[in-house]
Amino acid sequence: MRFEFLELPREGGRALARPVVLVQVEDLEEAPQLCLVDTGSAANRFGAWLAEATGVDLSGAPETTLHVGGLTTIARHARADLTIAGVRYDAPVSFCDPWPFAFNLLGQEGFLRFFRLTLCAAEGWLEVEPEPAILK
Amino acid sequence: MASFTISGQAFELDRLGIEQCMLDLLPDPLHEHYVVVRGRRFPPKQVLSCATGLDRADFTTHQARRILKRLGFAAARVQRAQADGDGNGREFQGSTQAEALRPHIGQWVALAGPTEVLVAAESPQEVLAWLARHERSASYGMFRVPASVDEAEGAAPS
Repeated sequence: MRFEFLELPREGGRALARPVVLVQVEDLEEAPQLCLVDTGSAANRFGAWLAEATGVDLSGAPETTLHVGGLTTIARHARADLTIAGVRYDAPVSFCDPWPFAFNLLGQEGFLRFFRLTLCAAEGWLEVEPEPAILK
Repeated sequence: MASFTISGQAFELDRLGIEQCMLDLLPDPLHEHYVVVRGRRFPPKQVLSCATGLDRADFTTHQARRILKRLGFAAARVQRAQADGDGNGREFQGSTQAEALRPHIGQWVALAGPTEVLVAAESPQEVLAWLARHERSASYGMFRVPASVDEAEGAAPS
């Protein structure tokens, strides 16, 4: 499935294009999240508000202190059902609080290991194709 | 302050009072008409209902528009975005998408299309509540419009 880059406003210049993918978290069908593809991130990093909004239980979840983009945050690691390109799968997600960033991040363990990615920044799109193993 | 008779009742209304009244409200979905209150687009009936306490069934959209225009609010018809599959290419969509998002910098938005902002609010919880209340779906996704290039590139907001 192809996703167009999201074009964001910025002062006095061309729009800033960001590679994003539409992700349904658990059963939150009415509000899929536009998540930023971050090949440098080891894991999916979502705002903890999403766990609360979708009923993902974080009590007793293992915690790590993370330093992301100049911020220190507490990540609680859980599993959540994500739906991307029509494929629902069980993914590891680090739910972070605080998470003041504009986007949730799709990283290696919870996203890139499950999908093959083709990205064309020159034309402003990316395509995700599920790895055959995820469909079994 | 100006006097109006609406649904048989007399009201004294002014622009500032209406702006105050709408301050903490999120706009309902727009259908055909809207008025602009402090930079946000509202259905005329929502504004007049809030300002008067009347039920929306007590007056027409045209009545609401006329009154709000007299009080100095801009009123217009909804123009549906033409960016979806219009064949004008990437550059057109990109610039219109960025411009559609510009008024919402720093806010959480729910999109029904590349340039169709359903709702913008200060928190994701407000966006979710609005979608549930109006039975709408952000089929193009929700996120927060970054307040700066640094933020869009992954830095924490300062």
